[in-house]
Amino acid sequence: MESLRIYLKLIRISMQSRMQYRADFVIGIISVLVLNAVNLGLIGILVSRFNSLHGWTVWDMVFLYSLFVLGHSIYSLFFWHFNQMDDYIIRGTFDQFLVRPVSPFIQFIGREIQYIGFGDVIVGLASFSMAYTHLELHWGVGMWLFFAVVVLSGTVVEMAIRWIVACTAFWTGRSVALTFVMNRFNLLVQQYPIDVFGTWFRVVVTLIPIAFMNYYPSLILLGKTEHGWSWLGLVSPVVALLTLFIAAIVWRLALRRYASSGS
Amino acid sequence: MNIFWSFTRQAFHNTAIYRFEYWLQLVSAFLMMYSVYWIWNILYTQRPGAFGVELGQMVTYGVIAMALESIFNPGQGPQMYISSQIKSGSIDTDLIKPLDFHLHMLAKNFGEISFRFGTIVLPAALIGFLFLDLQPPATALNGLSFAVSLTLGYLVLFSLNFLLGMVSVLTIDIRSIAWTYNSLVRFFAGQMVPLWLFPGWLGGLANVLPFKCIYSIPLSIYIGKLTGAAVWEGLLFQAVWVVVLMAVCRLVWAGVHSKLVVQGG
Amino acid sequence: MIRVEHLVKEYKQSKRKDGPFSAIRTLFSADFVVKRAVNDISFTIDEGELVGYIGPNGAGKSTSIKMLTGILVPTSGIVEVNGIVPYKNRKEHARQIGVVFGQKTQLWWDVPVIDSLRLLKDIYKVPDALYKRNLDLFCDLIELHQFQNTPVRQLSLGQRMRADLAAALIHSPKILFLDEPTIGVDVVAKDRLRTFIKEINRDQKVTVLLTTHDMGDIEKLCSRMMIIDRGEVIYDGDIELIRRKYGEYRTLVVQFERPIADFDVAGAELVKSEGTKKWFRFNRNEASPSELITQIGARFPITDLTVEEPEIEEMVRSIYEGKSVDAKVV
Repeated sequence: MESLRIYLKLIRISMQSRMQYRADFVIGIISVLVLNAVNLGLIGILVSRFNSLHGWTVWDMVFLYSLFVLGHSIYSLFFWHFNQMDDYIIRGTFDQFLVRPVSPFIQFIGREIQYIGFGDVIVGLASFSMAYTHLELHWGVGMWLFFAVVVLSGTVVEMAIRWIVACTAFWTGRSVALTFVMNRFNLLVQQYPIDVFGTWFRVVVTLIPIAFMNYYPSLILLGKTEHGWSWLGLVSPVVALLTLFIAAIVWRLALRRYASSGS
Repeated sequence: MNIFWSFTRQAFHNTAIYRFEYWLQLVSAFLMMYSVYWIWNILYTQRPGAFGVELGQMVTYGVIAMALESIFNPGQGPQMYISSQIKSGSIDTDLIKPLDFHLHMLAKNFGEISFRFGTIVLPAALIGFLFLDLQPPATALNGLSFAVSLTLGYLVLFSLNFLLGMVSVLTIDIRSIAWTYNSLVRFFAGQMVPLWLFPGWLGGLANVLPFKCIYSIPLSIYIGKLTGAAVWEGLLFQAVWVVVLMAVCRLVWAGVHSKLVVQGG
Repeated sequence: MIRVEHLVKEYKQSKRKDGPFSAIRTLFSADFVVKRAVNDISFTIDEGELVGYIGPNGAGKSTSIKMLTGILVPTSGIVEVNGIVPYKNRKEHARQIGVVFGQKTQLWWDVPVIDSLRLLKDIYKVPDALYKRNLDLFCDLIELHQFQNTPVRQLSLGQRMRADLAAALIHSPKILFLDEPTIGVDVVAKDRLRTFIKEINRDQKVTVLLTTHDMGDIEKLCSRMMIIDRGEVIYDGDIELIRRKYGEYRTLVVQFERPIADFDVAGAELVKSEGTKKWFRFNRNEASPSELITQIGARFPITDLTVEEPEIEEMVRSIYEGKSVDAKVV
């Protein structure tokens, strides 16, 4: 609880810092909106030209996309700077986290807040509500609850994976390439139903486990239970916690590594 | 010319230092090629021979586009270098070098790209031929034209990246702009969805913008979607854009340079 | 207060390959070399001491500071600070030390200094009364109130260093580690920083260990200094001795209109001659620069002049070569 209190204080000061760069904020939000519009445009053109993709209509795919973006938006608001961990290490900024009596993790995540995530919130909500209407979904309370849990699990999964990726910088010095690979995986899972890509790809994204961010849960939310594996959507929250646990272990190892190499 | 080679060699070294990164890039290139292969296969089972292009051609287009993206991705282009130099104030060190900055950037970037072409795109293409039904160029002439067209496409991309780098002089954080720019380039260049699938006005727009020089023209030549006179038209279109953009780059740089000199960096 | 025994720190460094196709071969394997950054050093520092820790770049200063602050774990040997082993008990250790890295600020870049301090108060759980007392002290000694509402990025370097010192001292640490606290700061601001450090050391009984490249810092502040080179402590002792031997020497650099043959000057020794420039070393207690200039100027036309203070690198080199140092060389 003490940690949470410190975290909130850190976040407050980070918000204050961000406020200083209004131009970047506006440009950032616009960028995110355009970026997402382009992604949705690609899906739209492709799928409408061919009517559907492996049984997924345009609106099914917009739904899939929105589910990803909603989870992602919370991640990008609070944890986006995991991508910059290598910067902290190279510049030596990380040292200061180790000479203060608060856990380095709390200090690190409290260091920044990314307003750009608001762009994702907007896109996520807009595309979700459009898809919800067009698909004429009528969810009961249980379904809405499940939806909320799934969105949060998505956030946790992405955050934990990025955390692990960031940790690799403690060994390799740079995590850019791995971040880049993750971005590409994200792009695929975000945009396409992964049953398109054949079995072994599905195994990979199930193990990594980004398929739990949107694909498996949307099978349940969209009632696509003809796939034998749709039940996997139900275990999303469990997978999320498990990934987070693994990330925490990797983090401990990374800190130990830093203490012995310091670079 | 000597200077050019020394930059290229330096770039070779810088790129080669991070071994782990290299293998990841190769893996990620293959991943994207694999995925695009499946997408087209599935779409073509629903509608064989769609839009006058055979499945084999379409897969070849998509797979090569993905392989190229791993080196054309603007995450590493001159704009990132320029923006970081400006942010840290070390652009001065570039200004005092007795080199033309624009050509210096070109030499540096070309060195990096050539190295990455050899170590990422070629192995990736080889994997493509072995596992992903990649086809050779439609004809020998198409193959040759593809090589020329790809070089021109690279010059267009370099120029656009360089201009984006100039934006950072306005002391704006260009990272978020770079993502958007990246996605717009890929969209209008036909990197994922070829331009002939674009509906009406969007297709019209994409056809006059310079972006299609980067992926669409070279790849259409490769798979034989463009043949005969259309090939020459494509190359001419690219050449015109290269000349125009290079000129714009030099003009903008001249302006930026004098601004930097006045401000003292 | 600080006890270091047989401290060793080794790093593994990757090495670039040479020879044909080196870039390509690097893609497949890498070579490593083990580098000993700190090689078996031992010393103790008592409570209330103000010790200068100097040495050329890459000598192992930062590495040892990092081990003392708990950032790095030693390869072997003992480190103990006020009874705590830094790397084993990082958080507890953090409460008793203050750290300033001169090259980079620990403050939040875009917010007013006072906001950073308030946040540090929460991080270190500083009681209200102590926090207030310390703030008053900083206002007295470094005029914190003059810039406490300014964002850090708008501060001058001198102000920023003062703010950083305040941040490092807000929780009243027992030991203060300063890594290049005056780097890049102008003369007036330097003086102010030195006075502040001195007062904190004297009045608050804070033990201070500082690294620097500036002999002035050492002369004004420290009674004891340690010189480290190539990972080993090559001198540990009185500052007076070193000052007598080296600190009083200055070098007069004279630029002449045209190249001239070497010549002797009373009270100075010609140490170097290059083109139209000559370097004369003199003891500032025995000769004054103005006398020397008159003497030289009377014989040859001078176009430019500078007086250089001895550099740490140079002193370390002389000590290393065993040139006329009769002090305890460790």
